[in-house]
Amino acid sequence: MQSHDKYRIALLSAYALALHGFEGILPTPIPWLRLGLANIITLTTLLLYGFRPAIMVTLIRVILASLFTGTFLGPAFILSLGGGVTSTLAMGLILSLMPELFGPVGLSLIGALFHNIAQLLLAYVIFIQRIEAILLISPIIILIGTLTGSVNGIISEILIKNLKNTEKHLEYKSNH
Amino acid sequence: MNSGLKGILNSTTIADRLLLFILILLSSSGVVFVKEILPKGRTVQIEADSLPVYRLPIDEEKTVSVKGPHGNTIVEIKNHKVRIIESPCPNKLCIQQGWIESGAVVCLPNRVVVIIGDIDSKDRKVVDAVT
Repeated sequence: MQSHDKYRIALLSAYALALHGFEGILPTPIPWLRLGLANIITLTTLLLYGFRPAIMVTLIRVILASLFTGTFLGPAFILSLGGGVTSTLAMGLILSLMPELFGPVGLSLIGALFHNIAQLLLAYVIFIQRIEAILLISPIIILIGTLTGSVNGIISEILIKNLKNTEKHLEYKSNH
Repeated sequence: MNSGLKGILNSTTIADRLLLFILILLSSSGVVFVKEILPKGRTVQIEADSLPVYRLPIDEEKTVSVKGPHGNTIVEIKNHKVRIIESPCPNKLCIQQGWIESGAVVCLPNRVVVIIGDIDSKDRKVVDAVT
């Protein structure tokens, strides 16, 4: 890995961490509801720089955030790690199999869906073990995830467009 | 170059929109269906001499016999309702109470209490704490 990429991953992880922390202090009507803002950075990284940087940004974000909030290796950490890694894997897989099919919004929706599926499965296996309770909340969680996922996808799309413009501008400047 | 929200909407692929539509359709119909399919979460608890003897789901037809100081009280669960069909007590007030959908039937002489309640609060707490 070139040092250029290292700086990029460090910077993107810092952005993801900041968003992760920011949404943690936002008041939400339901305690377990999260907006998944950090997925904006994961998705942007995936689309601009590829799968490996994206999964690294996810791992760094999840581990550091849990260290900062003191939940490292705790139940919240396991849920966060499972959701983050699964959603990044799902988005990366879909993007490499069908690169033209989905835009940022579709990929964000896939990410949100797999994030929720992974967390629900983990919650079932590790904590609740009551399939009725999981079945009852699954559609609600997936519905909310779809709504927040599409908003995050739109934000990613705007971000990617602006970043591409800036890079083009910089290249133009350095070439002339 | 497109800009603004309209530009963003135009740049989504057909697959994006289809996926969004399918997800919203499936999850919102899931919200409705799961509630219909699952049991209402109500249980019938039968106590004899203030000790719980049975805990039964209200949506299952069943007739059970509970032993009290005077003899056996027979409780029937049917169509989400509960009643006492037979009791050895002298005044048979519990049988006269008939079918109940909520609340409780009490047979004081035979010390039998039939209560309809939600899934006990302990289980609820576990779900809330984790989710």
